[in-house]
Amino acid sequence: MTNLTESAMFDADEKAGNNNQRILWMILCGVGIIMILGAIAGFLSAHSAEGGGPLNLAGYATLGVFISVTLILAFTIWKLFQMVKQSGERVPRREKLNRNIILACGGLGGIMGLAIAASGISNISEQGADPFVALLAGPLPLIIVVPLIFVWGVIMPVVAWFWHTRVIDEQEANAYRDGGYYAGYAFLMLTPLWWLLWRGGLVPEPDGVAIYLTFSLVWTAVWFWKKYR
Amino acid sequence: MKNQLKVLRAMRNWSQADLGEHLDVSRQAVNAIETGKYDPSLPLAFKISRLFDMPIEEIFDDEFNGERDV
Repeated sequence: MTNLTESAMFDADEKAGNNNQRILWMILCGVGIIMILGAIAGFLSAHSAEGGGPLNLAGYATLGVFISVTLILAFTIWKLFQMVKQSGERVPRREKLNRNIILACGGLGGIMGLAIAASGISNISEQGADPFVALLAGPLPLIIVVPLIFVWGVIMPVVAWFWHTRVIDEQEANAYRDGGYYAGYAFLMLTPLWWLLWRGGLVPEPDGVAIYLTFSLVWTAVWFWKKYR
Repeated sequence: MKNQLKVLRAMRNWSQADLGEHLDVSRQAVNAIETGKYDPSLPLAFKISRLFDMPIEEIFDDEFNGERDV
């Protein structure tokens, strides 16, 4: 084998390695956009709760910063996507399908989050509800709830079953299982700890949403770490 | 576990993605096995053995030194 072909082979591996980092950054930027959109929703909700009307200069500046960061993150995603496309990385069929399913699920999750946030904002402007409570626990119209239940209760289990049995390989299954163990232990250890701290009057009452988010975050972080490290 | 995967792959001028395609696993899986971060299952080890036409113990080294724990 010539040095030229050897270096080309290892270049391909290096490029592919860089693409993993790019995809990870794309996902993080996507999460960032969802969080900023949530912050914009919360900001506008708080403004409505205080009586609404036109924003003052500070309000416009805050909104401007939020929108600018969102646009920068969106541009970064687009730029990274172009870089992945131009790298010419050869992605095995199975991995391509895996990436497409994860990106589609991420997109679907974003749309569901936006639908819930939009409904929360309308609750605040119509009923003057507390912004935080309205976004997380306010009533949702059936026109939004029924499709969300269908997606989460019917489509997602089928996608999860297909993903587990037909798409991921054993190394990813192992990484995902490890994520589950860490998340399970985090749940088993932290929940009683929070409950005891609450009983001792040291912290607020345990919150189901915070526990669910922590569980999901630990699972995802360990899964990605084990898969891409 | 130490293994000869990277050398065997290089001898065939395959990238990690190429080997992943042959084994029907992701490039990350090939990378994790090569770097010893993940030990393949027995079925995958047999698949690798068949692909390179070599016995498993010539590809993978479990560093067993011959002393038994009795």
